[in-house]
Amino acid sequence: MTDTQIQAPPRPPAPAVTAPRPSARERGTRLLAALFLAPTIVGIVVFTVVPIVGSVVLSLFHWNVIDSPSFAGTANYREMFTDSTVLVSFRNTLVFMVFAVALQLLIALTLALAVNGRMPTWLRSVFRSAFFFPLVLSAASISVVMKYLFNQDFGVVNWLLGLIGIAPVPWLTSENSAMAAVVLVYVWQQFGFSFLLFVGGLNNIPKEIHEAAALDGATGLRKHLNVTLPLLSPTLLVASVVGIINALQVFEQPYVLTNGGPGDATRTVVMVIYESAFEQLRFGEASAVGVLLFVLIMAVTALQFRLSRRFVHYQ
Amino acid sequence: MTDPHLSRRTLLRYGAYGAGAAALAGTAASWDRLTGADIPGRDDGSLVVATLGPAYGPEAVRTLTEGFKKVHPDIKLRVNAVQAVDWSDFFAKILTQIAAGTAPDLVYVATEGVQLFAQRLGVALDHWVRRDAEELREYFADVHPSLVESMMYEGSLYQLPVEFNAADIYLNNQVLKRAGADFPAADWTRDDFTALLRDMKKASGSQFTPYFWTNRLWGGVVPWLFANDTNLLAESKAPGGSWLWDSFYPAAQRAGRGGGYRWTTPQATHDRVEEVYDYLASLIREDLCTRPEGGNGQNLIGVFSTGRVGVTPAGGFWAGGLNLAGMRPDGFDTQYFPRWRTQRMQFGAAGYALLRTSKRQEEAWEFIKYAARRDTLMRLFETNQTTPARRSMLTADRYRETGPKHWPVFYDTLDKFPDTGPIPAPPQVAEVEQVLLKHTGTALSSPRSVRPALRRMQRDLEKAMEREI
Repeated sequence: MTDTQIQAPPRPPAPAVTAPRPSARERGTRLLAALFLAPTIVGIVVFTVVPIVGSVVLSLFHWNVIDSPSFAGTANYREMFTDSTVLVSFRNTLVFMVFAVALQLLIALTLALAVNGRMPTWLRSVFRSAFFFPLVLSAASISVVMKYLFNQDFGVVNWLLGLIGIAPVPWLTSENSAMAAVVLVYVWQQFGFSFLLFVGGLNNIPKEIHEAAALDGATGLRKHLNVTLPLLSPTLLVASVVGIINALQVFEQPYVLTNGGPGDATRTVVMVIYESAFEQLRFGEASAVGVLLFVLIMAVTALQFRLSRRFVHYQ
Repeated sequence: MTDPHLSRRTLLRYGAYGAGAAALAGTAASWDRLTGADIPGRDDGSLVVATLGPAYGPEAVRTLTEGFKKVHPDIKLRVNAVQAVDWSDFFAKILTQIAAGTAPDLVYVATEGVQLFAQRLGVALDHWVRRDAEELREYFADVHPSLVESMMYEGSLYQLPVEFNAADIYLNNQVLKRAGADFPAADWTRDDFTALLRDMKKASGSQFTPYFWTNRLWGGVVPWLFANDTNLLAESKAPGGSWLWDSFYPAAQRAGRGGGYRWTTPQATHDRVEEVYDYLASLIREDLCTRPEGGNGQNLIGVFSTGRVGVTPAGGFWAGGLNLAGMRPDGFDTQYFPRWRTQRMQFGAAGYALLRTSKRQEEAWEFIKYAARRDTLMRLFETNQTTPARRSMLTADRYRETGPKHWPVFYDTLDKFPDTGPIPAPPQVAEVEQVLLKHTGTALSSPRSVRPALRRMQRDLEKAMEREI
């Protein structure tokens, strides 16, 4: 059998694919963009990336500021997992996060819906400003004032409760009520941010959709549950992500109000980091706790985005 | 192919960019930029003294600086008043400065930090004290040896105390009158104290708290522990120190003195400690005192001066504080802490510690001597914001405008009770204090929680004391 296979003629070489050279204008634009971005990138690298890497490295050392650091391997991590104060602080922080974020979103959403209802424009502006105002104040200053208000013996809160016959509550000195007081103070200050997001989100929902829902007979709570909430879900995602990240880093309120007490009832992770590093000079252990908190925040945020695929509806 | 010719508009735009960049660069170059030399005290040849900001306002800083300049015009001085909530916060900030390579030469250190600084950061003053003994004789004659001993560590002296505050009892005279009670005797007992609280409660409304105290190392549980002849940590004296006692104090005053305090074995579960917590818990149950809050007692002046609190532990610093709050000199008075098993009382003192990293140690020593001079302290402590360490400064004239009537109590707490001692503050003080506050809060936050909380306190104290600083 002869070889009848016909050899394919050699292909002509493919013309070299080269990107068109950017024009001078494009190069200038790119350079300009890089120049504008540079301060931000430098800022993120210097103030975020380097400290994160530094913390990870420091978590592998014992360092008390006074002496040179000594390599500790994973000792700080092992110590952390056997330290009851650290473990309790993580539990407290998670409990705080759940209640604070839930309450914050609920109040903010309710008020946003109320403010978005029928009312004079000037009154709407007053409410918006009033609800946002606590957010611009210093958390430490607010906590100092709240400490007076929540004082068991001399506070205004208990005085008001006394007027309606309720016995004084040891808000800040009882293990049962201290966390509640811290959550209340935190939520009072923080809900303004979520409120503003929700107001913006509500304004972005086309009126026609509400009108169509009304024609179909959806009113009141049913309309909000079946129409408003799904359309507001992207905003809810943003508000909950920001809220959870902030709540996991809570420090000022428990530090000023209760100093973590009574006992460890309100001690949070960031408080433990501060106390270990700056009061007890255990910078390595503090860094190890910081690294774990960082991982926790990353994991929770990743989980939120994962779940958002199912629950968030984009128009 | 690109157009090699730039349009006029493009040319103008790039020209504007260039001009803007040049203008920015020129402006930046012409500005006075921050350099290492701009960090306070760095590289400018100054002797840097770090003080606790709230205790040293601008007026006090000016007094110190100008007065020192007159005596030592050749030494450039910079006083860095560090703002901090309390001593713990202050030390944290100083340590941060040290870590950053901008350590001051001198740091104002209270009892809480004396041993930490002495062990890790400070320079003993023994050599200079011996050298300038004649000059210092007048100082030591005026300062109680207990205060000096509290500034010693393992036989060496690290600070000259300039102020102190013992936990005495402040009483609101209006509340006493309302209760029909007499001013307590100097040797009053714990039972007298309890009876007085009950009388006060009976005579006042529900919005009244007979006894208010703050959960902290100074003036919290510790005065009660001392009164019950115990302590949080086993207390002993280091050997040594005779070089100082033999040189400056008569035999009667130097008896039993050593080389400074040692606080070692935790004893939170000892019977006497439990008794103290049981007693405080019983006062809470009877509604005679508050559940203690943490903090520095900043909200106390208001409620005491308006008669909503009858009794509280405080030091000489409160005379000035109550006066500033508008309280008349006869509106309050002071008595010793009540007797239980003993009438030993607690104090905290403060002075300047010289850091090892200082390159100006001779100049720093001159400042330490200057800061301990009587005329300096007279100018600094005009408003009775503290108790001067010098006995001769406590006079009727000083307390005429502020009160209290029984002002001699402040120094007699040392003179008449020579076993009165400093709050327990080993080098591990930060952790010890945190453990104390944490478990005290738990112990008194609910019924039947004293013993479990003290067991946890003991365990945590043992752990803290084992830790190397």
